[in-house]
Amino acid sequence: MKRKLISIALVFVLCFSLAACGSKKDNKDTSVDANKENTQTPTKEPEATKAESEAANDETPDYSMTLDQIELGKYTDITATIKFATHRTDLVDNGRFAEYVAEFNKVYPNIKVEYEGITDYKETMDIRLTQKDWGTMCMIPTSIDKVDLGTYFEPIGSYDVLKDIYNFCDDKAFDNVVYGLSSTGNAQGIVYNKKVFEAAGITSLPKTPDEFLDCLQKIKDTGAAEDPYYSNYKDDWAISQWNAHIGGSTNGDPEYYNNILPYQKNPFGPTDDFTGAYSAYYLIYNIAARGLCEEDPVTTDWEGCKGRINRGEIGVMAMGSWAVTQFQQADSNPQDIGYMPFPLTINGKQYASAGADYCYGININADEVTKFAAKIYTKWLVEQSNFSYNEGGIPILKTGAYPEVLNAFSGVEFIVNNPAAAGEEDTFNAINAESEMNINVDGKKAQYVFWEGFKASKGESAKTLEELMAEFNEAWSDAQASLGIEVKY
Amino acid sequence: MSNRKRRKHYSVKQCIISFLKYFSLIFITFWMLLPIVSCVITAFKSTQEYNQTSVATLPKNWFYIENFVTAWTKGNMGRAFLNSMIILVFVLMGSILIGTMLAYILNRFKFLGNGLIRNLFLFAALIPGVAVQVTVFSIMTSLNLVNTLVGYMILLMGTDVISIYVFLQFFENISVSLDESAIVDGASYYTVFFRILLPLLKPAIVTCMILKGVSTYNEYYMANLYLQSEKLKVVSSSLYTFTGPFGNQYNFICAGVIITVLPALIVFITCQNKIYNGLTQGAVKG
Amino acid sequence: MDNVKSNQKRIHPIRFLKSRKGQRASIIILFLLVPMTLLITFTYLPFEKMIEFSFYKMKYLGRRTPVGFKNYIDVFKREDCFRALYLSLYYMGASLIQLVLALYFATILSFKVKGGKFFKGAIFFPYLICGIAVGFIFKFFFTRGFVLDTVLQAVGFDLDSLPRWLSDTRINNISLAATSVWRYMGQNMVLFIGAIMSVDSEMYEAAELDGASKWQEFKYIILPSIRTVVLLNLILSISGSLSAFEPSYVITGGTAETATYFVTMHVLAHNTKKVGLASAMAIVLMGIIILVTVAQKLIFHFIFDNDSDISKGTRKRMNRYLKKQEGGNTYE
Repeated sequence: MKRKLISIALVFVLCFSLAACGSKKDNKDTSVDANKENTQTPTKEPEATKAESEAANDETPDYSMTLDQIELGKYTDITATIKFATHRTDLVDNGRFAEYVAEFNKVYPNIKVEYEGITDYKETMDIRLTQKDWGTMCMIPTSIDKVDLGTYFEPIGSYDVLKDIYNFCDDKAFDNVVYGLSSTGNAQGIVYNKKVFEAAGITSLPKTPDEFLDCLQKIKDTGAAEDPYYSNYKDDWAISQWNAHIGGSTNGDPEYYNNILPYQKNPFGPTDDFTGAYSAYYLIYNIAARGLCEEDPVTTDWEGCKGRINRGEIGVMAMGSWAVTQFQQADSNPQDIGYMPFPLTINGKQYASAGADYCYGININADEVTKFAAKIYTKWLVEQSNFSYNEGGIPILKTGAYPEVLNAFSGVEFIVNNPAAAGEEDTFNAINAESEMNINVDGKKAQYVFWEGFKASKGESAKTLEELMAEFNEAWSDAQASLGIEVKY
Repeated sequence: MSNRKRRKHYSVKQCIISFLKYFSLIFITFWMLLPIVSCVITAFKSTQEYNQTSVATLPKNWFYIENFVTAWTKGNMGRAFLNSMIILVFVLMGSILIGTMLAYILNRFKFLGNGLIRNLFLFAALIPGVAVQVTVFSIMTSLNLVNTLVGYMILLMGTDVISIYVFLQFFENISVSLDESAIVDGASYYTVFFRILLPLLKPAIVTCMILKGVSTYNEYYMANLYLQSEKLKVVSSSLYTFTGPFGNQYNFICAGVIITVLPALIVFITCQNKIYNGLTQGAVKG
Repeated sequence: MDNVKSNQKRIHPIRFLKSRKGQRASIIILFLLVPMTLLITFTYLPFEKMIEFSFYKMKYLGRRTPVGFKNYIDVFKREDCFRALYLSLYYMGASLIQLVLALYFATILSFKVKGGKFFKGAIFFPYLICGIAVGFIFKFFFTRGFVLDTVLQAVGFDLDSLPRWLSDTRINNISLAATSVWRYMGQNMVLFIGAIMSVDSEMYEAAELDGASKWQEFKYIILPSIRTVVLLNLILSISGSLSAFEPSYVITGGTAETATYFVTMHVLAHNTKKVGLASAMAIVLMGIIILVTVAQKLIFHFIFDNDSDISKGTRKRMNRYLKKQEGGNTYE
């Protein structure tokens, strides 16, 4: 009898507790929403808070200060723990991040920074961000639409103000609010081994796509390197590095990427003068089709290739400037690693896409003090850590120094994409996703083009480059039609 | 005469059969073991040795355990094994309790909805598991169960249809008169279940422990998704993570593989027959 | 469950609790509560959401717009989805080979064989290895100049005449499907051995006395007794082939034209963020699996009449277990 009563009681308790759980959750949700509104308003009027914050200074600083108002070296008694999710597993593993943190802690001893390296960063982060307490800081995933930035990330200042202090700050800006600064700026080019070029008898760097292919052919014919070109086919992010040239390198027009490409008819060519995305795909396809790449692309090894290009076993790889230092440090011949601009000359001039790398984002759901600490850390990383310089990138602080790696780019004009026209911030992302071209999102299309070329080199039936480009053009047009984007160019 | 000839013929034939039999057995065993053995060989080579020697060359030093040490520390394997053990214990207990309780109700009680519930479970087996992860994730998120061991364990328990079938099947073979006589003696349903039926279910429980144990220990897709924090990594997912920086340095990777396979091997060698029996029992569920 | 609850309310509570009926209702509710909650939360709720998603154009994060049946139409129009389904033929072929091999070795190993335990263990063990580890093992195995190439060179093949096992589109899907044979063949074999062992050994003795050949023994004694298990495994492996995922996901990452239906879906959901389309793909696949399963069941039902020897065998074995249990006095 007792047992029966207990069991029934149990059922009721369970039911109630379940119901209670449900209602508790609801409460939490609304409070977070309220927070969101609060935090978004202050950035709209930075001038008003400035005076107050200066007065408050070392006592209790105004936590909603924007990045330009924060003065490094102050508020040193802030105590917080920053959980930082990063894609740079290598820097976590080799302790470089720990060194940066130690440096930072000399000024801010009470702000603890815990780095977490994530192997499948893109996939993992997308999923993780759906959860509110994913951590304090991360590198903002490229898949997030600008319009949604404010849902996940803390505003750090207004675009009008920050754009005069930092490079690339439009990358994560929406509606005049900046949500993240880039960790470093990338100049896009092609890494090569100088010794290999010498051994192959190449005296001047290629300036057109066909000259480039000739160089690779020479390397192959002379046997100067085992693999003239290494595709990293297996890792789609690695082969996706070609994408970056679709902006500035291949046309020299800062307006192109955001304001022309989405509205262009048949942007993938073929073009006679190789301008536009065509030149990148032309190179990928022909490198593979002429057998200038590694023999077994499915088992490529990113970590291993760093040392191989350093030792001269690989001639050339298409990589952003961020990779150069990694290649230099991979073995004992750092002096052999060279960096050259994309082999395309437009009206006698070469260009290089330059742009933001992953940007630092701060979780909007973190508490005020932690968010403030994260802003301090962001500012410190960008201005005082020397991170960008050490990584061989373009400085984020406008007054920062350029690294030596980029010396080879003298005479080459850096092209930073202009932001999209107001109200069109997400047009590019929308068409990019809808057409599944995923330019600068993933490397599936680069893989695809490479693979058709590779099959052609083996004498298997494969699509021609023209067929591929026609396919891409069609996907682009279909996406324009289904999104209602007006074709203007 | 003819008799002798026939006998001779017979034995030649038998010889051939027996030769073919052993040849095929050795042939298949070679291919079955080759991938694993080659891994073992490589795991004992130093990086230099690995780069210079062929895969078939035996390692110079069979006591070179540097790779295992690296794999163990880099992969944080101690922690991972602990997590896997915790998960294994709770998931096995949980899913066995859940499965037996459910099977008891469905088998012994006729009530409205019994058939419906059976069909719900039957149909659930057809829903492709990996495919619904997109939406499962959002549910896990809203329950705040992402990045918690508890959440992952609940998920593994909740998506276990096979053991329910094994138990249902088993209950069919336990005579109802057993329960009835106990109930006549004044036992409650709970007593019948916990005191009488549960002990009888032992063979089925062993079966489920094996099936569920193997799948839990080897599960990595959901572990990657739901246990991302460094401290929560299980054996399979840390094998996956730690190899990232090693690229194609197979001497390290193979060491990691061996570390994760070793517990399975030990368990297999110690309770081979139980595993075979368990599997056979589990398979007759349909 | 709901029905039971509403019944409960109509009856006077105290009298209800006293009754056997009350106890019955309480145990039903209590014992069903957890499994049903789990089933609904982690299977049916996601399933229902997946159906909902399939009618939207949406990403993981951000807004969504309803698109009606467009996603479903796209699934049938897309080249990659179609190709992926075609790839599952490789896996179906592999699973047939796997069943035949398993059957062959099960037949051998069911009888006295020198070292039988070792052979059985060696063939079975791969089943216990984690999918990730299998991935690494075979990446290593198939890499140019590594394990497989070395062995083949040792028996006289020339390295230049050997294909690149993972990069050559004429062979790479076969390589991948072979890994799943490697992994699951032993498990099938053990199941078959179990079924063969359940046949009364007197039958073999009788057959031997009658001078039946090994083949006749196999055909008339073994095969009928394990028919149900074989058919069951056939059904499972064909629907399994349609949803093949691991070899391609873990070993090649779906590159080099090895992306199966599931991998294509995974990429669409996670790289391209077309969650709606991926959901539609999942539902289409489920529809196909259900169709195939039902069709197979019907065909087998039609071909073989429905007396199931295996359930007899099972029942026998279970009874044996029960007797053992009773003998051991478990009624403490």
